[in-house]
Formats: sequence, structure tokens, C-alpha cells
Amino acid sequence: MADEAIKKPESKGTMAERTRDRRTYIPRVDIYSENENLYLVADMPGADESTVSITLDKDVLTIEGTVDEPTSAGRKLSHGEYGIGDYYRAFTLSEEIDREKIEASMKNGVLRVCLPKAEPHKTKKIAIHAGL
Amino acid sequence: MKYMAPWRWGRDVGLRREPEDNPIVSFQRAINTLFDDFFRGVDFTPTEGEFMKFNPRVDMAEDDKNITITAELPGLDEKDIEINLSKDILTIKGEKKEEKEEKGKERYYMERSFGSFQRMISIPAEVDTTKVDATFKKGVLNITLPKQAKAKEAQKKIQIKAD
Repeated sequence: MADEAIKKPESKGTMAERTRDRRTYIPRVDIYSENENLYLVADMPGADESTVSITLDKDVLTIEGTVDEPTSAGRKLSHGEYGIGDYYRAFTLSEEIDREKIEASMKNGVLRVCLPKAEPHKTKKIAIHAGL
Repeated sequence: MKYMAPWRWGRDVGLRREPEDNPIVSFQRAINTLFDDFFRGVDFTPTEGEFMKFNPRVDMAEDDKNITITAELPGLDEKDIEINLSKDILTIKGEKKEEKEEKGKERYYMERSFGSFQRMISIPAEVDTTKVDATFKKGVLNITLPKQAKAKEAQKKIQIKAD
């Protein structure tokens, strides 16, 4: 349990000021590449496809998600191990990604993003004209 | 387990996972949690003693009518989860399966954990076992245990008389 903080740490990222007064957690992720694709898998329990957003700005991929808080009058927490809050995490991608073909799916609180690598740019030879 | 616990168990503990920058403070908090949980009768020792294995986090909340237990189980299907209630012990069992290792896979980040788990939680009040309801949505398991009328009455305020 000493690694509790590592498991779902609170995000202190370099994000813009948030408009919602809630805690933000860093989702745990697996990232791997297979064939010509880069895959990102994130555990985001409590979030679904309607509340998760993925943005790619230049080479920074951001995943965000919101979780609904249970609402019940007179609800008292008697044993708490996890906090309810939003998810935020940003990654810098080193490889060129084909932006048009990014696909994402969400199932049982797990987000899967498939990022196809872009075709490497062909070397272009530049002709040098002889001086006039 | 429950019987050796001090009387204060299961009451008003509140959310303990505060944001904490200082590792010493968070370590101390983790140790305190360890003792609190031990005396409250919550078994949170990972099965087979592996700390990096998947061990779901569980919250327990209470209102006048129900006790609700929620567990974060991302990546599991409802058919992978087994819930048993015997007397006052609720057991949640399951397995988070890892995708098969394939050739040509290059891993960059591996933070998610997998494996089988079992959590045993002692229920702090008598519940109507015939009306227990469980739902699994968005990777979160939600178990509602309605309190029995008897348990509701059991809480009695004691008047203090002045001489």
C-alpha cells in the first residue's frame, strides 16, 4: 500500500487552469508499438466514451476524462481507497503519426488508442541549377 | 477478524487519499492506513503477496438505507467478477487478464497491472441478503446492500441525565 500514491497519483501537469473544482488523477498507461502502429492503453475506471477526449496538438497527445461523482443524500464514506476525480495525461510523441487515421475505443473503463505511424518522408533531391 | 477489532472500526474514516507531495508524510499515511484497515477487518493483502499485481481499490459508503461498496476494476468484464456474501463478509474475486504477448511488440510504458485478486470486506451492519444488487459499468463495480430494519433500529441514542 505504500505505492498507493504511484498507482493513481494526482496530476500536477502543465495544463491550463481547469474550470472544474475537482481533483485530477494520472491514469496508468501501457504504450507499445506493434507492426506499423503505436498503441496506448489507459486504465480510466469511471470514465466512458462520452466523457473522454483525446487531442493531438503538434506532437503532444493529451488524454482527458471526467468521472461522475456518486450523489446520494446522507452518504458517508466509511472506507476509502480511491478518490473520485478527473483524468489528465499528456505525452510527447517522437514518431510522426498519421493524424487522419488515429482510432480510439473505450470499454470497461479502459481507453485504447491506435496511432498509425506515418510513412517516412521520401528523400527529395533538389536540383542545383548552374549559375547563369 | 472482525471480533478482534476495536469498536471504532468502520465509522467516519473519511477519504484518506489526500494529495501529498512529501514522501515521508505519504509513507506515514500509508502505514496508518495499514493499521486502520487491519483493525477495521478489511483484508487488503494482495493474494500471493505480490505488490505489483492487480489489486483493486475499494470504497465503502453508507447512508440510512444502504451500504454501497464500489471497486475500480478497469478492463474486466462482468463475467470475470465473482461476488459472494456469507454472513457479514463480502468477497470480490476476479482476474484481470493480460493481452497475449506477441512478437514484434516493443513496449515503452508498462504501468497497468494484471492478475487475479480477491478482496474480503466485512460489512458493518446487518443487510438484507436477498436484496443485494450489483452493477458493473465503465470499469466500476457497484454493490448495494440494503440495511435490515433491525440494524437501522439498533442505533440508539442514549440520554445523559443530569443529577
